[in-house]
Amino acid sequence: MSVDLRPAGTNVWEIPRQGPMLVPGRIYADRESIRHLLAEGRSQEWDALDQVRNVACLPGIRTASLAMADIHPGYGFPIGGVGAFDLDEGVVSIAGVGFDINCGVRTMSLDLSRSDIDARRDETADELFRSVPAGIGSTGSLRLSHGQIDNVLREGARFVLDRGFGIPEDLEYIEEGGVVEGADPSCVSDRAKDRQEKQIGTLGSGNHYLEVQYVDEVFDGEAATAFGLAEGSVVVSIHTGSRALGHQIGTDYQSVLRAATRKYRIPVPENDLMAAPIGSPEGRQYIAAVKAGINCAFANRQAIGGLVRNAFKRLFGLPDGAIRTLYEVGHNNIKVETHEVDGRPVKLLVHRKGATRAFAAGRPEVPERYRSVGQPVLVGGTMGTASYILVGTEKGMRETFGSAVHGAGRLKSRKRALKDYRGEGVLRDLARAGISVRVHSRRGAAEEAPGAYKDVDRVVAIMEGAGVNRRVVRLRPLVCVKG
Amino acid sequence: MGTTARNRGHETVEHTADMGLRGWGASPAEALEETACALLDLMADRRGLRGDMRFEFDVTGEGPDELLVEFLNELLSLSDVEEAVLTGVAVAWCLDEGDGWALKAVVEGLPRATHGDRLLREVKAATSYGTSVTHTGGQWTALCVVDL
Repeated sequence: MSVDLRPAGTNVWEIPRQGPMLVPGRIYADRESIRHLLAEGRSQEWDALDQVRNVACLPGIRTASLAMADIHPGYGFPIGGVGAFDLDEGVVSIAGVGFDINCGVRTMSLDLSRSDIDARRDETADELFRSVPAGIGSTGSLRLSHGQIDNVLREGARFVLDRGFGIPEDLEYIEEGGVVEGADPSCVSDRAKDRQEKQIGTLGSGNHYLEVQYVDEVFDGEAATAFGLAEGSVVVSIHTGSRALGHQIGTDYQSVLRAATRKYRIPVPENDLMAAPIGSPEGRQYIAAVKAGINCAFANRQAIGGLVRNAFKRLFGLPDGAIRTLYEVGHNNIKVETHEVDGRPVKLLVHRKGATRAFAAGRPEVPERYRSVGQPVLVGGTMGTASYILVGTEKGMRETFGSAVHGAGRLKSRKRALKDYRGEGVLRDLARAGISVRVHSRRGAAEEAPGAYKDVDRVVAIMEGAGVNRRVVRLRPLVCVKG
Repeated sequence: MGTTARNRGHETVEHTADMGLRGWGASPAEALEETACALLDLMADRRGLRGDMRFEFDVTGEGPDELLVEFLNELLSLSDVEEAVLTGVAVAWCLDEGDGWALKAVVEGLPRATHGDRLLREVKAATSYGTSVTHTGGQWTALCVVDL
């Protein structure tokens, strides 16, 4: 496509409102990233900048169609896309949520030092690999009836906490306390529940992972202290989502929202931006189902957190209090949030597709312990590179509806990565770098090779340079378990 | 990739985050069947495998594009619910019924319990993004992006 793209500040580019666009597009990127996006759009059948422009055409969108610095082509919305919609005039779109509903990251801090892990790195990797089911078709230890799954969908993390996974303090440090209100299990199909019967407490595959990491550098001492981190601190990060239940909710509602798009004559520039008015019966039903999927993901990460805690108890004899949930936040979801639009506080339905909520200091949604510095934003890197913990800023609240990147963002397609890398070589290189990796699939290791992703250091620097997120600490991997 | 006869076949198409699947043939049935074969190849290494589990299902869609998405998603759900490695798929019939499209599929598979080592990737869903079923120069071509 030929896109009219203009610089709009440090590391910000704008697609001016034109034609059917209701708001401008705004992309957080440096010059090199923009050149890459333009080239990528020409070389593929799918174009992330085109997707930013299409989202700007959806009814009821406010302020701008946004893309964070990890932008790459998705389906409908770009990955890294954020769109906020007026509750009366706006729509809810499947493409702004995705099929891995509430995929996200939980980070837990450990009372261990880097040297403790280094001394028993392979043993730690083996124990975590044994303890946490991962890989395609893996199943967890919980076998749930449909009635029990309905309770998972209503209660979220609390359901598995009550069955011995984790400790009550975990809930305080999960976004929304580990459960969103308004989830309706009757809006979720029996097939979705069938697929989830054995999947609570499983990591999955693809880009999902479990990593033991250490704090390599502190950028913001005050925030790091509030998060209980210092140079050399050890954390565990869990990246996964709502598993097959979330996938099936998305699948089931494609036909519902497709019909709603026609029924309400919603002008969508692309099929996959199918949508329903937020207040319509179809929109309300889909939102209630997504909320159920969000709670399922909270339950899944709570269960895995419990398995991880037990693994570290066995390995290092740590008591419960020595393994603390630092924070958990999703990056594929929709939420009703209050933001300032045209100088007035307004309730909006915010879609984040591959983007993380990043609320600044003072917001009531941020746990009290962190409220003076802001919400931890957990940004995953790759098996061989850094991850980050960021915080949001006031400027970010105004410009991005309090949003941040969710990861490095893919640079190469999986097809390209398989041509460029061999699983054995990737694992050998990581071992040489002092990272113990355990994988269920060598092919998966090649597809997820560090070189297949953008440079996460640059991605977070773009956001910091634009003033919308701030770096707190950089994490480096010691152990990585992949599906 | 998997060309099974002259003038029909399938391939994967570059997509940065996910994967595009394209199938083509002399009829909508062949094009959709080939696209389904591309999906099965993405999910598992099924070379040399013959399934002893057999499933049949019908799917419908308002148009051929919607039918393609529903068809691929039915295969994904089936694989999960039946805990099967899908080894083969055939479209028995595919019809434009005037007020919508429909197809019947016959699928073969093997239990994951015995053949789980053949699984390659977890495919989350077939999306409607960029989906098309087109008829040009006597050939039908189907295209769909799947979420990985």
